[in-house]
Amino acid sequence: MHKQLKNILTTIAIALTIGIGFRQLNTDRPITHSQDVVLVTHDSFVMSKELVAAFEKASGLKLTLIKAGDAGSLTNRLILTKDSPIADAVFGIDNTFAGLANTNSLIDGELTPTDFGDVCFNYDKVWFAKHQLAVPASVAELVEPAYRGLTVVENPNTSSTGLAFLAASIDKFGTSGWQDYWQSLKANDIKVVDGWETAYYTDFSGSSGHGSYPIVLSYASSPADEIDAAGHSLTAAILDGCFRQTEYAGVLRHAKNPGNARTLINFLLSSQFQTSFPTAMYMYPINPAVPLPSSWKTNTRIAPHTFGDRLDINAHRKLWLTEWSAIFD
Amino acid sequence: MWAAPVTFIVVLFYWPVARILALGFSGDWLSATLTSRTWHIVWFTIGQALASAAFSVILALPIALLLYCRRFSGQRFLLAAVTVPFMLPTVVVGIAFTPFEGLPPIGRIICAHLFMNVGIAVRIIGSVWHRIDTSAEEAAVLDGAGRFLVFTAITLPQLRTAIASAGALIFLYCASSFGVIMILGNVHTRTLETEIYVAATQFLDLPRTSGLSLIQTALTIGAFAVAHKYSRGRMSFAENSDNQHRTPLQPSDKFAGLLAAGIFLFLICWPLLRITQKAFSFHGSWSLQNFKNLGSFGARQTLSITLLHATFNSLRNMVLASVLALVVGTCVSYLLSRRKFNDASHRSATLLDTMFQIPVGTSAVVLGFGYLVTFSSGILPLRSSWLVTPLVQALLATPLVVRIIFPALMAIDSHVHESASIDTADSRQIWRWIEVPLIRSAISTSIAFTALVSIGEFASTSFLAYGDQATLPLVLFQLISHPGPQNYGMAMATSFLLIIGAFAIVFSVSEKSSKVSSLE
Repeated sequence: MHKQLKNILTTIAIALTIGIGFRQLNTDRPITHSQDVVLVTHDSFVMSKELVAAFEKASGLKLTLIKAGDAGSLTNRLILTKDSPIADAVFGIDNTFAGLANTNSLIDGELTPTDFGDVCFNYDKVWFAKHQLAVPASVAELVEPAYRGLTVVENPNTSSTGLAFLAASIDKFGTSGWQDYWQSLKANDIKVVDGWETAYYTDFSGSSGHGSYPIVLSYASSPADEIDAAGHSLTAAILDGCFRQTEYAGVLRHAKNPGNARTLINFLLSSQFQTSFPTAMYMYPINPAVPLPSSWKTNTRIAPHTFGDRLDINAHRKLWLTEWSAIFD
Repeated sequence: MWAAPVTFIVVLFYWPVARILALGFSGDWLSATLTSRTWHIVWFTIGQALASAAFSVILALPIALLLYCRRFSGQRFLLAAVTVPFMLPTVVVGIAFTPFEGLPPIGRIICAHLFMNVGIAVRIIGSVWHRIDTSAEEAAVLDGAGRFLVFTAITLPQLRTAIASAGALIFLYCASSFGVIMILGNVHTRTLETEIYVAATQFLDLPRTSGLSLIQTALTIGAFAVAHKYSRGRMSFAENSDNQHRTPLQPSDKFAGLLAAGIFLFLICWPLLRITQKAFSFHGSWSLQNFKNLGSFGARQTLSITLLHATFNSLRNMVLASVLALVVGTCVSYLLSRRKFNDASHRSATLLDTMFQIPVGTSAVVLGFGYLVTFSSGILPLRSSWLVTPLVQALLATPLVVRIIFPALMAIDSHVHESASIDTADSRQIWRWIEVPLIRSAISTSIAFTALVSIGEFASTSFLAYGDQATLPLVLFQLISHPGPQNYGMAMATSFLLIIGAFAIVFSVSEKSSKVSSLE
């Protein structure tokens, strides 16, 4: 009696759960309707409620957003589901993964550049002033004894920021010289951590985390967000050895609503959306005519010359990462 | 009878995991897996997990003694405080452990694992310990046996099942630990879990992913085989209710007390206080500004949903996941515990037990990829429903429920059953009136932990929840992924609220159960 009762109750519970699931899917899942558009992005994508409303009003479409990890994770998840994509359009594949997207024919048509940002070292102005040490003018100086144990970078195996600087270093020091450069960095006690969050907030002395390393690999735009109460910027970027990260949007092949996806991508390129790149995503709009916020005009500059963004990263990623890992093993 | 829980786990776990692994096994997975690098990683994974589990269990013993077998004011507060770190998102644990910077990476990792897992060991061991019949111990003391001898010869053997259970579980949590290894380790500290993450998300190397997952599963099975081997101990329960059984602090508790206080202050309080301190500081001075900012969407609208919305999502997921995990987990434990009356079904019971433990030691990335290829479309498009998050959280919490309730059920003396059967009680009556009251503290512990698993779960949730379904840990991560003091401060304030919220839940659950038992 008791066994049967328990069995029946549990079966009902599971049936109910799955049943509710199905109902949810049937009512909430929009991609079967032609008035819907689904955009899959990396985790750093931000679109304000106002912009979503503006897009939906202008196009008459209903927008659904899906976040799918960092640029690498996003690209690989799309490859995994390329025959039955989880969205209509993608935003956030960058130039370190664009080659991979193309060799897997993920995109219907071409990837369209939407925005860019420079991966550069940042330094803690207060620390350097207090220690009366000259700020390194180039990434080559980071191997000098004066800067021993002062620098923290991200692991290129686990961080897109780290991968960007690896590419920049390969371009700057050449295929024969980059490994020596990293050997010297290692000998100079450079710290390697898993990702940007740890490097910037746990180890960098110039952030609110008050770590103990005054030089960190971050973005040229980061100093605009480290302003003290008096309005002075506490950090600055070293504009040498920077990698220009360009982000792209595209219509996914086999998308259910490719026409709607195109409408959405045009919206991402409109000046209304482009204006939001610096404020919401800390990136520069691809359209140079779009005005920048005032804090960016005073506190950030783009690198005059960048490295590595023209290399075929996709073809060499595995080799470079293996060689890089061998240096630190 | 087994059909319901088995359906649950097959549909939500084995089906998606099998689909993604099958993709990998169609490639040359053996040569992708069997490299010298892999063996290095396997040994490191096992070594750090063994060390973490062993230290957790050892350090838990004095705390469990004081919190479960003695009576003094503030016990519930301390018990809740020891439990809370279990749910902290690892990015917060990483920040909390920056003062341990001087230690080598492996030391930092083990300390962080202890911080997060000592509470599990305290509760699993404690909930059995306080029911042990102390007459044998007392008799031995009267005969002049030393305190240490009594503990090792009489008490410890009776705690064997609970220690094995807690140890196996903590071993698996540490073997599949991801964030702690990534944040507190360095380029050398690679485990199976971090290696699977890199192989899957960065290289989409599915053959290697599948091969490594197979090794992970073997580890899980191995851990539980060892736990089973040492969980044959029987113990006799005290007849009286637990509050009477507790004794006041004794002078001979001095050693345990000092040890427990040291562990508590150094490993639990210090890291938690660092988060608190950061939550209340803004631009270098004490301030409530971070909490005032929580009403906003972060500097430059970093967040897509309000914190209130994320709190609602987290609480909703928590209620659903806890109820489901408790029902399924209790059902499995009950069925497993029947084996002690029927040796014929012993082997199949062991098999089924293992089947329900494997999710603990399975990579969140593998599960997430499995869901992506299985539930994105097709007959069960769960992927786009909000239900997917609480269902997966229930799946991850179920093994924990089994590991807490099963040893408690096994520890019930079979004489209780036999005498009740002679008195013509049917199995439902025995369950309702004898077994449930005896395992009450195990049930309340389960509720506490399923709630914590749900609230703190990050890895799988980040794979599955999207758009307006973000939970508190996801919001916290979004904040800390962007530069600027406002976002950092809000992330710390969110962590503080998570700690307080988790504390309140754990505290209220344990208070309720104690009240009921004192009324008995």
